[in-house]
Amino acid sequence: MNHTPTTEQRLWMYRHMVLSRYLEERIESLYMEGKTPVFNMAKGPIPGEMHLSNGQEPCAVGVCVHLTPEDIVTATHRPHHIAVAKGVDLDAMVAEIFGKATGLAGGRGGHMHLFDAKVNFSCSGIIGEGLGPAVGAALSRKLQGKPGVAVAFMGEGAANQGAFHEALNLAAVWQLPVVFVIEDNAWGISVAKQASTAVPRNDRRASAYGMPGVHVADNDVEAIFSAAGDAIARAREGQGPTLIEIETARLAGHFMGDGEDYRPKGEKEGLKQRDPIPRYRRQLLDAELLDDISDTDLVEQAHARIEAAIRFAQDSEFLPPEAALEMVFV
Amino acid sequence: MSMTTTGAGTRKLTIARAMAEATAQEMRNDPRVFVMGEDVGPLGGVFGNTRGLYDEFGAERVRDTPISETAFIGAAVGAASDGMRPIVELMFVDFFGVCMDAIYNLMAKNIYFSGGKVKVPMVLMTSTGGGYSDAGQHSQCLYGTFAHLPGMKVVAPSNAYDAKGLMTAAIRDDNPVVFMYHKSLQGMGWLGTEKGATVPVPEESYALEIGKATVVREGHDVTLVSLAAGVHHCLRAAQALEDEGFSAEVVDLRSLVPLDRETIRASVAKTGRLIVVDEDYHSYGVSGEIIASVVEHDHACLKAAPRRVAYPDIPIPFAPTMEQWALPNADKIVDAFHQMMLS
Amino acid sequence: MSTAITVPDDLWEGDSEGVITAWLVNDGAEVAQGDLVAEVMVEKAQYEIEAPAAGVLTIAKQEDEVVEKGETIASLES
Ligand SMILES: Cc1ncc(C[n+]2csc(CCOP(=O)(O)OP(=O)(O)O)c2C)c(N)n1
Repeated sequence: MNHTPTTEQRLWMYRHMVLSRYLEERIESLYMEGKTPVFNMAKGPIPGEMHLSNGQEPCAVGVCVHLTPEDIVTATHRPHHIAVAKGVDLDAMVAEIFGKATGLAGGRGGHMHLFDAKVNFSCSGIIGEGLGPAVGAALSRKLQGKPGVAVAFMGEGAANQGAFHEALNLAAVWQLPVVFVIEDNAWGISVAKQASTAVPRNDRRASAYGMPGVHVADNDVEAIFSAAGDAIARAREGQGPTLIEIETARLAGHFMGDGEDYRPKGEKEGLKQRDPIPRYRRQLLDAELLDDISDTDLVEQAHARIEAAIRFAQDSEFLPPEAALEMVFV
Repeated sequence: MSMTTTGAGTRKLTIARAMAEATAQEMRNDPRVFVMGEDVGPLGGVFGNTRGLYDEFGAERVRDTPISETAFIGAAVGAASDGMRPIVELMFVDFFGVCMDAIYNLMAKNIYFSGGKVKVPMVLMTSTGGGYSDAGQHSQCLYGTFAHLPGMKVVAPSNAYDAKGLMTAAIRDDNPVVFMYHKSLQGMGWLGTEKGATVPVPEESYALEIGKATVVREGHDVTLVSLAAGVHHCLRAAQALEDEGFSAEVVDLRSLVPLDRETIRASVAKTGRLIVVDEDYHSYGVSGEIIASVVEHDHACLKAAPRRVAYPDIPIPFAPTMEQWALPNADKIVDAFHQMMLS
Repeated sequence: MSTAITVPDDLWEGDSEGVITAWLVNDGAEVAQGDLVAEVMVEKAQYEIEAPAAGVLTIAKQEDEVVEKGETIASLES
């Protein structure tokens, strides 16, 4: 596999990071509507919990750039960046986040339960829950003789769940085409990784299951591209699973409204200075793959796309309440 | 045994604070008591019920855990059997799926399997309930699921006075107790707190007997039975019915296991009518159990078929329009009463 | 003597407004200095307001009312 992305791939990754970030910024402000000064989760156009992915975009794009719609992705309670990079229908996704009839599930799922079968994307709010289904989807492809790899995304907190260890072993013993991607943002709500995890790096746990474990430092888009490219190529060639841990950064709170008092002073400011999007922009400008004009163009187009999705969601109706009774069974 | 409104001065507590206060008082008296769970340490619990404990007792006795529910709930069983009195938190009851084996095959059965020679004095506290659009994996009550499985006591308070007394009793109990606290009663403003749950609470330590229901409002036309947040819906419905000239009695179960069937039966014997209100799923749950408990005992006392206002048998939808439509509320209880009077 | 209970300037960082989520003492009750009397919430974080002196409480800002730092929310008569 080629470890250097093509120009097209580079611009694709950059554009999808910009798309995702702008989506999160817009969700952030829409979420706060109706919630200031009194923060009541039930209020506003987007009620409920909200886990933003700001800062973690490199993980999503560096992996998903190698995937096609037929490949399978399972994600977590913090799913938006991955959904954007996997090509989930943006209109239907944003409408689902608003709970509207035109949403992916007509509003039954909400932001932690985004399912887009067209691109084989799903996510779940239970920690570690995406791994089993990824293994099973990979098995299904193998049994059906159909192409495709499965990628399970998770936070570093999930590596301490039983499901993590069981799924890694299963994928390895059956040599299935799965890639396990840990987005290590150093925190599981208020609990720091080093306070909860017996090893400093989870990629080392791969050796316990006889699979390669790869570590990517510093939220580096192209290093992620390279590591994921190798792992996905191995999976496609029938060489079995890989575990990748990426050092990434959670630039927002665990969820909206998080006081974040548990963070060491200055941590967040430091992380913001290393924001991966301006960093990658600079890299592309320096490589002359982007200039100020094309950048402005790209950013404006991305923003327009997100604005259109938000308008679509806002203009959509809710399903009639009785629709709650439908779709329990098909 | 005190009732909900007696014995207290002017100081009020939220349920979150009442739980933390009971825990702190027991921890001061008994070095065997310790707390484990996700974010229970410096953060004080996502729902505030371990606030202040870390500062007072330190990291040794107030332990933030990895996201490893099977391990730390199993560990609580082991520690409890070995002479400690752990309190563990399952952050949302919906997460029981990843650790139910530790709960119902270990925690609930070890006393029995050992012929009573092994004690399992532990508390599993867990949050329940929705109403704020947290969707299908963060909004369930699952009261019936836990109460159905033998071997664990189950409590679900509706106010801070009961919460403190039941928490103290749960910690002192030599049996495993599941302490289910409803998010909307917790006193966390961001969850849209029910004001009626924040009530006067005595500062001194006290225990409420587990397994005793209480009549929180007396009446003679209908008995409304509920627990946790449902009690507050019932109280509002009772007020609305009073405006129509009917008098409703409200029974707060407080405990599901053991279930105080006597108090329920006595109330229905008096009123002749029964409506059970449950935010848990309709079928195979608390509401059916309460009705059966009355009917199998004496159906002649009933002037009308009992009714239930429960959550429909569907996963909890995210969209507020659908969720609010599906949840029990005071209007639905009043409607149920009207229909009962028509038929 | 009357002592005002105000929202301390250093209760939380920044200038956000808060909301009183609970009065933990009834209007007209006697409190001791240092008693916890109210909870104020800013986004999802909760902060405690203590009585700066002993006295009989007169609540000025009710539950669910929005408050700013420095604002008087009650007074204590002794
Ligand atoms: C089984 C289970 N336990 C606990 C939780 C509550 N919870 C939600 S997110 C979270 C932290 C997750 O940390 P991590 O996996 O590192 O992902 P991050 O939030 O950092 O993206 C916890 C404990 C849950 N959703 N599921």
